[in-house]
Amino acid sequence: MRLLLVEDDRLLGDGLKAGLMQAGYAVDWLRDGEAAVAALGAERFDAVVLDLGLPRRDGLSVLQWLRARSDATPVLILTARDQSADKVRGLDLGADDYVLKPFDLDEIAARLRALLRRAHGQASPCLTLDDIVLDPAARTVTRAGGPVELTGREFDLLHVLMQNAGRVLSRRALEEKLYNWDDAVGSNALEVHIHHLRKKLGNDTIRTVRGAGYTLSGSAS
Amino acid sequence: MSRRSLRRQLTLLLSGALAVVWLLAAVVVYQRAHHEADELLDSQLTQVADTLLAFVSSGEIEHVVEVLHEHAVHNPVPTAFEIWYIDDDKPRRLAASPGHAGFESGLADGFSERQHDGARWRFFTAWSRDGHYRIAVAQAHAARERLAREIGLPLLVPATLALPFIALAVWWAVRRALGPVDALAREVDALDPRALAPLGGNALPDEIAPLRDAFNALLPRVTAALDNERRFTADAAHELRTPLAALKVQAQVAQRATTDDTRRRALDQVIVGVDRMTHLVEQLLTLARVEPAHPAGESAFDPAPALAELCAGRAAEAARHAQTLAVELAPDCRIVMQPAWFEVAARNLIDNALRYAGEGARIEVRLTRAAEGCRFSVADDGPGVPDALRARLTARFARGETDAEGCGLGLSIVERIAQLSDARLEFGAGLARPDGGHGFAAALRFAPPG
Repeated sequence: MRLLLVEDDRLLGDGLKAGLMQAGYAVDWLRDGEAAVAALGAERFDAVVLDLGLPRRDGLSVLQWLRARSDATPVLILTARDQSADKVRGLDLGADDYVLKPFDLDEIAARLRALLRRAHGQASPCLTLDDIVLDPAARTVTRAGGPVELTGREFDLLHVLMQNAGRVLSRRALEEKLYNWDDAVGSNALEVHIHHLRKKLGNDTIRTVRGAGYTLSGSAS
Repeated sequence: MSRRSLRRQLTLLLSGALAVVWLLAAVVVYQRAHHEADELLDSQLTQVADTLLAFVSSGEIEHVVEVLHEHAVHNPVPTAFEIWYIDDDKPRRLAASPGHAGFESGLADGFSERQHDGARWRFFTAWSRDGHYRIAVAQAHAARERLAREIGLPLLVPATLALPFIALAVWWAVRRALGPVDALAREVDALDPRALAPLGGNALPDEIAPLRDAFNALLPRVTAALDNERRFTADAAHELRTPLAALKVQAQVAQRATTDDTRRRALDQVIVGVDRMTHLVEQLLTLARVEPAHPAGESAFDPAPALAELCAGRAAEAARHAQTLAVELAPDCRIVMQPAWFEVAARNLIDNALRYAGEGARIEVRLTRAAEGCRFSVADDGPGVPDALRARLTARFARGETDAEGCGLGLSIVERIAQLSDARLEFGAGLARPDGGHGFAAALRFAPPG
């Protein structure tokens, strides 16, 4: 899952980026509204964590710009203003949720999971594919009731694939969702992770579509 | 009612003044009455004497005694008499009122006063027209006094009885006249401190109306000050939330870190965050402390030594960022300001320049002296502040468009100090930069000590 974090405060931005990366997201962090607009115009993110008080371009204005171009990327607003008028305005302008500073990292993570789940039209908090169950909150995977040990990156890869079950994802699309700008992606890193996943979940779980990418075989429920 | 009560003062003063005037009037009335009584009795004396002389001249001496006796019985002031017949210079007493030793001889003619029989008497002496009879009539002074008192005192009684009523009337009048003051006090008392409304009461007396008008004129300023404080509290709470959020997030990152490196880095950030919060809280406290608490007792002083020390203390910080801190202090400047406040203001301006001018900047600290007063300025060749933004710089929590850390209170503090110390805070273009632009400059202009 790739997140865009827009927060001007150096210390908070740094902490959020570290915390969200610990939670398994690929995070890109920008510190002003104009840069956020530029990034959102050029790339796709799974969700945006947006501070309201930003230099150069206010958070609400960024949100307005995003929705004006019919971009439905989920947006979680961070705000230090607790007046309900501010919340109402943010939600009316198209925010999907808001969190009041100071907040708990767990709460941010939980709200982001809920946003992403809704964005993928998924009602249950857990994802299932045949006998494979993935719990995004606990970051655990079971197969036929037995636990499967996955590394962080393997879990994230499986998560993305399960969210897009039935669709073919290109290698580039997968890399974009798994890595932020700072990560140096090795040319065959993705293949290595796919290889490991196949070893742990069964060879036929992930199907390679020649020239197109990867997809999960099996039926999601 | 306290000693300062207007009502009490007015009641006492008016009643006192009235009592004194009344007393003087009573004395005058009494003396007039006394005088009238004296005149009355004197004319009685001359009448008696005339009557006696008339009787005596016509040889009706016996009749005289009878008349006088009657007179003595019915008159509140008995009249005594003696009648002499003078022939060949030998006075012979013909008659005298009963119960009297003889009057002394040698009484002057007309009215006179004299001791007789151990008391004071008033005499009247007259001669018959042919010069043979001499007659003296007299009244005891004490009796005359008694009569005068009996006439005079009753006049004072109604006035005396009126006194308490006058005092009561004074009290009522004062109370009624001061009624609007009470009403105004009640109105002020009923004011809601959160929503101060102007006082009404158009029918106020001329003496109180200015008080109400002054109060009403003060209200907008009080309300503005209250609003300002309220906004400041809200702003402060808002400004505290972001660093608090940063602290919490960094602490949680440290808690969850799986590698020592990540944990150490997050904990370092926690310490940076605590330092930043400390700075913010200190600036907030400074701003709260800069109040007009000690307006008096400021004397002019030379700020140069304090500035020199301040700049020396910042040299290491400047060197760390390859900045040049040039200091030029004119001698013998005198400014009027609390020295401690001046240091706070100067420190904030210099620290702002160090913080925002950027790496390798040149910063010039100057103290100059001119006829219109001293000027302290800090100029840099940093990125500068757009004109549009300059006006907002002194707003609390306002920051220029900058990446540097700062809580946005420094210039608010300097502005506040300037306001309270009759100095002016000015912003302008700073030092010229190689790219043709200018840095930022802030200056404090002081009024000459007077």
